[in-house]
Amino acid sequence: MKILKHSCSILLISLASSLVNAEISVIVSNNNPNTAIDQATVGKIFLGKTKSFPDGSQAVPIDQDDGAAARNTFNSTILGKSSSQLKSYWSRLIFTGKGTPPKQSGNDAAVKQLVANNPNIIGYVDSSVVDDTVKVVHKF
Amino acid sequence: MKKITILSAFAAIAVLPPLTQANDLNINGFLSVGVSMLDNNDVTLDGFDNNGNFKNDTILGLQISKQVNDKTTVTGQLVSRGSDDYATESAWAYVNYAASENLDLRLGRIRVPFFYYSDFLEVGYAYDWVRPPSEVYSIPFSSIDGTDLNYRFSLGSWDTNAQLYYGRYSPSGAGVDLKNFTGLALSSTSRNFTLRASYHRLEIETDGTGSFGAGNTAAVAGVTALKPLLNPTNDAAIDADIDQVAVDFALTGQELGFYGLAAGYDNGDISAIAEYTQSFADTPFFTSNTTYLVKVGKRFNDLVGHLTYTATENELDSGLEGDVQKALGLENKQNSIIAGLRYDYDTSTALKFEIQNHDEEIVNGAKGESAMLYTVAIDLVF
Repeated sequence: MKILKHSCSILLISLASSLVNAEISVIVSNNNPNTAIDQATVGKIFLGKTKSFPDGSQAVPIDQDDGAAARNTFNSTILGKSSSQLKSYWSRLIFTGKGTPPKQSGNDAAVKQLVANNPNIIGYVDSSVVDDTVKVVHKF
Repeated sequence: MKKITILSAFAAIAVLPPLTQANDLNINGFLSVGVSMLDNNDVTLDGFDNNGNFKNDTILGLQISKQVNDKTTVTGQLVSRGSDDYATESAWAYVNYAASENLDLRLGRIRVPFFYYSDFLEVGYAYDWVRPPSEVYSIPFSSIDGTDLNYRFSLGSWDTNAQLYYGRYSPSGAGVDLKNFTGLALSSTSRNFTLRASYHRLEIETDGTGSFGAGNTAAVAGVTALKPLLNPTNDAAIDADIDQVAVDFALTGQELGFYGLAAGYDNGDISAIAEYTQSFADTPFFTSNTTYLVKVGKRFNDLVGHLTYTATENELDSGLEGDVQKALGLENKQNSIIAGLRYDYDTSTALKFEIQNHDEEIVNGAKGESAMLYTVAIDLVF
């Protein structure tokens, strides 16, 4: 019984910590004039349905690499699609010439650096790596 | 310290991706290979017979696209089909001008938005079936030469694409000219739902020769040859009426077309689609055709199980035209039940198993038979 209680609390702690770790920030460059972007707009940018930020400037979304934890969370929470649904979504667009998926651009650190250096790029990273080189426009 | 800053600045520039994809030549491809066997040679279904067929489902597509400037993109898709002895055709070959964020104008060879799956008709990876059911997907060509306009707009949670096209299709050797090809397709999505409506019309003309034209010539002769059957008393007025039907059978620019409706749902776990089409024609050479399909699918991790019922049925004209159509054996009524499994081997490869029971209730005016078609196929995108 005690053991059960013990393992339960461990489970809860690990669950809680994984929830904390899983917080994702959508980031842009400090030179990007947009301050907050809602979830629907972030989704539209990453699904190629809009090519601009709310202020009208060009938006270039970048993805983390396939299998990255942040990417899976981003896909399911912001885009509401599984990886197989997304693959099918993009193959339908690619082969009509209507769009190409965001470029796979590495892990948290790589994405943060690309975003920091280009005001048109929008990416997402684990909130723990966010620093003053980038600006958070959405968090979940 | 300063040195390091400059160095890291250089490093940053080195990994800086292009602002747009202006300099990128995108190359993508798809390949489907399949093997099928039909258990009854008296049934006609997608060109299969009771020997293993390794060719009909084999399709290779290569696509290149490049953004040539801020507003202009070129796209070409070369498709080589086993069912066509691997002759290579340009399914897409267009230049796209993005007039605004919401409006695209295209000129060149375009895939016609006939059906729900038409835009990516041959990209097997993009759907669960090995091939869309030919009861509904019955048009023997998929691209025309012309121009179109795509306009996107949002109303509430519904994102809509309106596509208006105009063009012409006159394949060499077929002896047929499809002119003033015009259509409109509206497609709206909201979260997991998709609704689609489309309308298509054209004017059809033949010189009476070639693979298609010769068939029309034969049918016209067939109408006149029916005189002894339909007019045993040699009534001059009926004779003249039959001659008029023969004139109408000859394709000289009559209008032909259809409209389609579709609704789809996909939440990643459960999916469903229903599609319906209704054709119309000014000439009795073509009968009025009603087709539909209903498909449901359920995902279990990497596996999708799906079940489809699809049917096609035509309606003969009334009066003498209908009598002629009936005598020429133009009546058809067929259906299929398709059960399939799709296994996503990885994110770009799907393995498919399918069993199709095809029932020819009426084929060319006579009672037909039924058959089972077994297929194993692999679809890749790269």
